[in-house]
Amino acid sequence: MRPNAWVAVTAIVFGLAYGWQALGLRRAPIGNPMAPVYFPLGLAIAMVFFGVLLFYSEARKGLDLDDKSKRPKFTLRGMKLILITIALCLLYTVTFDRLGFVFSTVIFLFAMLSFINGLARTRMNIVVTLCYSFGMWYIFTHAFQIVLPASPLGIF
Amino acid sequence: MGETFGHLLNGFAVVLTPGNAMWLVLGSALGTVLGMLPGLGPTTGIALLLPLTFSMAPATALIAMCAIYYGAMFGGSRSSILLNVPGDGAAVASCFDGYPMARQGRAESALAISAIASFIGGMISTIAFVLMAVPMARFALRFGPPEYFVLMIFALAATAAISKAALLKGMIAMVLGLMLSTVGLDHQSGMPRFTFGIGELQGGIDFVIVIIGIFGIGEVFENLEHIAKAIVKPVQTKFGRIWITMDEWKRCIGPILRQTPVGFFIGILPGAGGTIAAMMSYNNEKQLSKHPEEFGNGAIEGLAAPEAANNACSVGAMIPMFTLGVPGSGTTAVMLGALLILGLQPGPLLFQHHPDIAWGVIASMILGNFVCAVINLPLAGLLVRVLSVPGRILYPLIVVLAFLGVYTINFSPADFILLTILGFVGYLMKKFKVPTAPLILASVVGGMMEETFRQSIMLSDTSFWIFARSPICVVLWALTAISIAWPFISEAMAARKKAA
Repeated sequence: MRPNAWVAVTAIVFGLAYGWQALGLRRAPIGNPMAPVYFPLGLAIAMVFFGVLLFYSEARKGLDLDDKSKRPKFTLRGMKLILITIALCLLYTVTFDRLGFVFSTVIFLFAMLSFINGLARTRMNIVVTLCYSFGMWYIFTHAFQIVLPASPLGIF
Repeated sequence: MGETFGHLLNGFAVVLTPGNAMWLVLGSALGTVLGMLPGLGPTTGIALLLPLTFSMAPATALIAMCAIYYGAMFGGSRSSILLNVPGDGAAVASCFDGYPMARQGRAESALAISAIASFIGGMISTIAFVLMAVPMARFALRFGPPEYFVLMIFALAATAAISKAALLKGMIAMVLGLMLSTVGLDHQSGMPRFTFGIGELQGGIDFVIVIIGIFGIGEVFENLEHIAKAIVKPVQTKFGRIWITMDEWKRCIGPILRQTPVGFFIGILPGAGGTIAAMMSYNNEKQLSKHPEEFGNGAIEGLAAPEAANNACSVGAMIPMFTLGVPGSGTTAVMLGALLILGLQPGPLLFQHHPDIAWGVIASMILGNFVCAVINLPLAGLLVRVLSVPGRILYPLIVVLAFLGVYTINFSPADFILLTILGFVGYLMKKFKVPTAPLILASVVGGMMEETFRQSIMLSDTSFWIFARSPICVVLWALTAISIAWPFISEAMAARKKAA
């Protein structure tokens, strides 16, 4: 199927799901009870409408008559790096408050740099990680006076 | 006129306080560096640095952001000229003749004329801004909730309908942005909407998270695919005197003065933006030139015209944001968001209630142009060294900066999950060529749009005719229809011209 047809199908499904949720929204106890619903419902209708229009315009061209070179390319290595980054982001979320900014950032940044650059550049990865983590901590806490989570050790 | 001049002088007094002046210089330098980095550009740059301004006074924060914006517009062309890799869309046209000039050993002239043209374009358009700001703000006082609602529809539709190919996808992105703005407690009834029982969503999805996620993290995800294989091109870092000859100046001044108004008026139009301004001015000059064959082979006019136009465009884009309170581009949407976070209501009343801030920012545009010119002429050799930092080091650092920025909004790491999801959505949007600017714009104005919609409905006792009652509304609807139809009209006109 053409890439735009996928976009259209996603829009229609998302619009329907959103519209379903909008209809189920609790009504306002004061004033017009439908007031909180009008706007979201209008958006759901618009989403489905544009999705259907896009699907129709793609279907007219022939859904399978597509130039394969124009399709989005997802490489295995690229997807692997993105998934690893997402996993590291989730790990960062969990450790940020528990380990404090500096330690969680050191772990996150070193892991990410290692995955991207490989272990052959470990020394550079360590230097960049430490300089950036401590540098950002210093700038935010001292220059911008923003309180960042501290480590369990009580320092940084 | 005297009143305007008085306000402007007060604005200079605001900018020239030590703290504001320092942020003006720092912001310009930071913006120049961010603008140079391919793929980042002004919008992502401002979005990433936006949280840093939360602890600043409103005037300081806006001065810093404007400085970053101008710096990025100045810096965007550095990588175009030296590497043939534009920092952002607006700098694409600078590659056409800037890079050939550098290859011919004329990098100094190219860097100089890009800074000089940017400076002149920025200065002339800032003067035009000063002259137009007060009348526009006065006119905007006639706007009530229905007019504002229709104005926002116009801004969104114009941004979404920027090209025929992506028209429907732009509309889908716009609606998605509006949908994101409906998450959280309903401001009027207090009812939770689309929170799925998740406490963290009750406050809504902050548009800063949307912006940083879609632009910043989405960009990083896209670059991760080819980051390891990417070869860092060698960058020229040693230059002779960065200046132009009298002959080059004579060739450039005409194109600069002709294309500055073009860029400025394109900037005022919602959705058009720097890329269109730069491309249009390049084509204009090519058509006007007695030697069009030189264009693309190092014609200095081909670099001067788009540089002047894209800087003029960036100033023009500020007009609807400051005077009407409605942004016309991704970058001004981020700045509008910043105004709201700082507790300011953009629009005509900003000039009445906070003249020091409004005029301080305008004065900072004038001084910022001087600062950017100084940074981009003598310090160009130093700054372009940033271009030799490989993406495989740069992008992980950007991810940390993005997380740190998002943390400073609610001081909750739970927002990191939302940021990651939105980053992945942004990545998919780029992959499927769905425009991201309408989503950003919609997520920023979505709250205001719903508010004005509901106020209008209340005023009219649930009659939708209120949106077509006033002449302003009718004109705005007509403009909306034209902006949606324009990609089709221009294509038909081009086809007819070709056939003839």
